[in-house]
Amino acid sequence: MTVMRDTVVKSLAKINIQGDENGLIPEYDVLVNLLPASLLNTFSERIMAAAPPDKKSKVADGLVRAAYECGYHTGCGIITSDVFNDVVLPMVTEGEKDILRGAFAAFTAWGWAKSGIVQLKEGERMVIRANDYYEADSGGEGLRAYMLRGLCQAFFDLTYADPYPDGMNTFVCHQTKGIEAGDPHGEFVVTRK
Amino acid sequence: MSLKLDFSLDNETFRHYLNGHAVVMHSHHYLALITKLAEELSDIGGPQLLKDVVEESMWAVLNDYVQKNGQTSPLQRCNVGREYYSVYGLGKMKVAGTESGGEVCLIRSHIDEGWIKKWGHHTKPVNHFTCGYIAAMFAVAFDKPAKSYRVTEAESMAVNGTEGTFIVTLS
Repeated sequence: MTVMRDTVVKSLAKINIQGDENGLIPEYDVLVNLLPASLLNTFSERIMAAAPPDKKSKVADGLVRAAYECGYHTGCGIITSDVFNDVVLPMVTEGEKDILRGAFAAFTAWGWAKSGIVQLKEGERMVIRANDYYEADSGGEGLRAYMLRGLCQAFFDLTYADPYPDGMNTFVCHQTKGIEAGDPHGEFVVTRK
Repeated sequence: MSLKLDFSLDNETFRHYLNGHAVVMHSHHYLALITKLAEELSDIGGPQLLKDVVEESMWAVLNDYVQKNGQTSPLQRCNVGREYYSVYGLGKMKVAGTESGGEVCLIRSHIDEGWIKKWGHHTKPVNHFTCGYIAAMFAVAFDKPAKSYRVTEAESMAVNGTEGTFIVTLS
């Protein structure tokens, strides 16, 4: 058996989270927040629009970086969590490749993107296809999936770079297609830096 | 908690919804870095832009809730904002005020505590996000449009490590 993506997605998607008595959500070794997707998209669009041409790449890098660090630290918490152990690990028969498949099932289940791995050269290169993601609604011009770029890079670093927390910034992710740019799906290519 | 919470899932896209609004999970790393990015872009109005986006977005969510649930008194409406803040995992606040303004005390704070976890104490207030949130909360509570209130962070949990204080005045 390998990781049965649909089973994992359905199991994890049932989990609802909300603040505790302190209004905080301490999960996966981080503080989690649950925010309107429209707020996050609007911030990305407005800050990009406000940036002068010579600063736009710096702003885009900052948006990707926020998602990357979030994904790297939270992703480690996810793949070592009880729920991941219960739902995903019993299906793991192909080592790191299956952990990565499970992580992308969680990626879908928790609403970041309906996505999956379409090509994988272990430890070298990965192509992700996303058929739905909230950044596709961002309304700007061109490729705008900053969050997805950061998360794809983070998950590949967690799987194939040096063990957490020493493997940061080993790989890089580029977006090559985007629903927001008129393509039928989003495509994200992760390669070694 | 008196807030009605309707969590739902789109079985086709797997997007999650809370009371009809699409929501997504991130961590304190994300909001800390978004806050820092806004700070680094102060020359193009980054902190104010973050406040404005939060105020406009949250005004829409909170106003939608009070309209659909027939909540008319300022106390009820303010309570919606206070409770939503905690449901979102943003922390816990105490609110005091009238239509002309007020004071909000932040007892726990995702953004400030997240900042401290990531980088330690800061030298100045950084919770632009909550300034925008409180402005939206007061505007909805007193049935006014967004941008009706000005909010300043007088004391910062990111600086003092204990509590935050926000002063609200009519614009």
